[in-house]
Amino acid sequence: MTEPIEIVVVGAGPGGLSAALAAAQAGARVALVDNNRQPGGQYFRQPAREFRGAASPHQRQGADLWQRVQAAGVHWWAETTAWGAAETRVLTLAGNHAPSSIQPPAIILATGTYERTVAFPGWTLPGVMTAGAAQTLLKEQHLLPGKKILLVGTGPLQLVLAAELVRAGAHVVAVLEGAPIFQKGAAHLGSLWGQWERVVEGASSWLTLASHAVPYRTSWGIVAANGNRQVAGATIARLDAAWQPVAGSEEQIACDTICLGYGFIPFTALAQLLGAQMTWQPELGGDVPTRDANLQTSAPGVYAVGDGAGIGGAALAQVEGEIAGIAAAAQLGHHADTAAQKIQALLPRLTRERQFQKMYAALFTPGAGLDTLARDETILCRCEEITQADVRRAIALGANSAGEVKSITRGGMGDCQGRMCSHLLAHAIARETQQTLAQVGRVRPRPPLFPTPIPVLGQVQAARAEESLR
Amino acid sequence: MNTQRKVNAPVVIIGGGIVGCATAYYLAQAGVQATLLEKSVLGNEASGRNGGGVRQQCRDRRERALAMASVKLWVALRTKLGFDIEYNQGGNIRMATTEQRMDDLRRESEEELQDGLAVEMWDRETLRRRAPYLGEVFIGGKYCATDGTANPLLAPRALGWAAKRLGATIMPRTEALHVQVQAGHVTAVIAKDPTGELVIETPRVIHAGGPWTPQLAQTLGVTVPIVPTRSVVAVTQRLPHLFDEFISSHDLGVYARQAREGHVHVGGAGAEHDDTFDQTTPLGTIEKIARGAAGMIPALRHVNFLRTWAGTIENTPDKVAIMDTVDGIGGYIIAAGFSGHGFCLGPIAGKLLTEWLVEGEASMPLEQFRLTRFQK
Repeated sequence: MTEPIEIVVVGAGPGGLSAALAAAQAGARVALVDNNRQPGGQYFRQPAREFRGAASPHQRQGADLWQRVQAAGVHWWAETTAWGAAETRVLTLAGNHAPSSIQPPAIILATGTYERTVAFPGWTLPGVMTAGAAQTLLKEQHLLPGKKILLVGTGPLQLVLAAELVRAGAHVVAVLEGAPIFQKGAAHLGSLWGQWERVVEGASSWLTLASHAVPYRTSWGIVAANGNRQVAGATIARLDAAWQPVAGSEEQIACDTICLGYGFIPFTALAQLLGAQMTWQPELGGDVPTRDANLQTSAPGVYAVGDGAGIGGAALAQVEGEIAGIAAAAQLGHHADTAAQKIQALLPRLTRERQFQKMYAALFTPGAGLDTLARDETILCRCEEITQADVRRAIALGANSAGEVKSITRGGMGDCQGRMCSHLLAHAIARETQQTLAQVGRVRPRPPLFPTPIPVLGQVQAARAEESLR
Repeated sequence: MNTQRKVNAPVVIIGGGIVGCATAYYLAQAGVQATLLEKSVLGNEASGRNGGGVRQQCRDRRERALAMASVKLWVALRTKLGFDIEYNQGGNIRMATTEQRMDDLRRESEEELQDGLAVEMWDRETLRRRAPYLGEVFIGGKYCATDGTANPLLAPRALGWAAKRLGATIMPRTEALHVQVQAGHVTAVIAKDPTGELVIETPRVIHAGGPWTPQLAQTLGVTVPIVPTRSVVAVTQRLPHLFDEFISSHDLGVYARQAREGHVHVGGAGAEHDDTFDQTTPLGTIEKIARGAAGMIPALRHVNFLRTWAGTIENTPDKVAIMDTVDGIGGYIIAAGFSGHGFCLGPIAGKLLTEWLVEGEASMPLEQFRLTRFQK
């Protein structure tokens, strides 16, 4: 007879792995859930490793962490999607290794992010893709996304991807960094103290790009993707302090592929369904759950760590995971006496990573100009083919909230369930109606959070009944 | 600073659902420019959160004539609102899985035919032939060809927009706080919008607040027996065209329509009571809908569901609406408690209320919808 699971950790990236390990080591019975077959999340499967042949420090670190997670007796529920949740701390799961629903005493959300799309003329042309999609092609298919690649976006991950593409044999025509990092960066150099791994990785990418003479421009961004049936080039421009393209600075650049790396949006839908209060923090990627010092959300027993609780990178996710793992286990009576002391010992690391997070946010949070690139005929919602003009028409009829525009236009009702477009629609409404994003509001997430078939939806309670019999 | 703004209106409509919007529309057509107060936005509640059925069959006999008159209005609205509300007379099938249900439907069909509603009884073979997408579990059903569907997200709003074009004042995000009564007659409505309080002086109020009607009515000492009930709909991915009819089975507890873009909407039908204002989507309800959907339309068994929503229906004890005045409060009319039938009946309710106000009498009898029927 199996003992019931005490803590379910959702997401097996750096934060989730660390949380599962810390909780299991404290003596809790832990299950780790992830959509993927392999644990590690996006961070521990850096594409370049495939081409280097030998393990990178990241890969060794990830493999080591995974070994320890297994040794600690964590139940691994691979290829399992947490598609729904309720405020009673119920999770509904779809996967062969997991029950179809579970109501554990504690849940740790390490759900990560999805990539932030940007709407500009031509962004729906074949050849435009997110940086993450390009990485997946490299990693899983060993394919280059194109021959002449333009990278536009912000943040050091662009450099890393560019270097990986160059090493794999691609011609990277340019890397455009939207932020004025050389002007703003000096003020933040202190935050790099102790971040040697990051410094080394950045320097190595930088050297690769320099040796291949890849142009790197800061305060530059994309204005349009050009081409008939496929990307043939891009219109790029210098950006002002608000990331607004400077009129007259436009240049044409030939390329067949454009990779968008404009950052990430925390995936918070599960936290919201579980009843966690949210707060609007643009520098952390948007709406994030409020958390106490133990990283517990306002929903009792529900913790949130890592990028899914605010963009901060893998190292911050790991230390947050450890804290939440210890705290959740202690809440269930496992080593409750020593938990505070253990968490105390992690605080210097947490502080250092939070400083890095602040620097990152100060440097690489896109300005408002990024949301002004779409034209009337530009599609904002790809699934339902809703243009900016459609949004404008709905507003002319009196709509001024995210929910109303969705109702009238169908924008955000398609297969992506709003992940690609809800922020684009919200920005367009805010601009057109001269409101803040908070006033525009958000559309309430509802199960199923992912497209889910009837056989899965139809067995929620059967499984819950089974669960209670154990 | 708390300055009260003062305006006036010949009629104030409280509630921007389909009943309120239709009333504003027909009043404006009759030359009366009402002011409509909506606490959130037009069509945001049950009017915009329903299965989209516009049905005459399987009605309480008191509602049947109204539903039949309403369908005539729907047909006209299709071209008159200047906005495509996706109204389609694709028919309505109520299916049966048991002989007893078939008998009930047969009895109902006799009454409907008497009342002039053209319906057909379909045996198993006819059902297979006319609706081959339905599951084997059904042994027959009742069909009404003039029933149909419309887009609930658009129809109530389009009525409100049309009313506005005709001169009505539509005030979203404006909550009615209090109805002022002096010497036995309505004198004003006190409301609150994001900028503060306002007073709308008016001799007439139509209270169409859906499930929120009882709270405000109670401040006038009027007890309105309406219970909020949650209704849930789940939506599939876009599918190739499967069917035109609005279909329902109380035996399986589900109903469905296929929207114009191809998504199939499946909702929970029947006796389930979930008396709450909560509009989250319960996982257990999704499960029931999923099982019912698979039994009703086997082709859905391997289709993904994308979205769900929940809304709040306003049920009266006998599941029939209230349209009535109140003794001692001149100028105050309640039009609420449509019990999940308001989407279909909204246009006729708006039309009759307009006649009542403008001509002093509605063209169809409204005695059956008295509030006093619950006070016996």
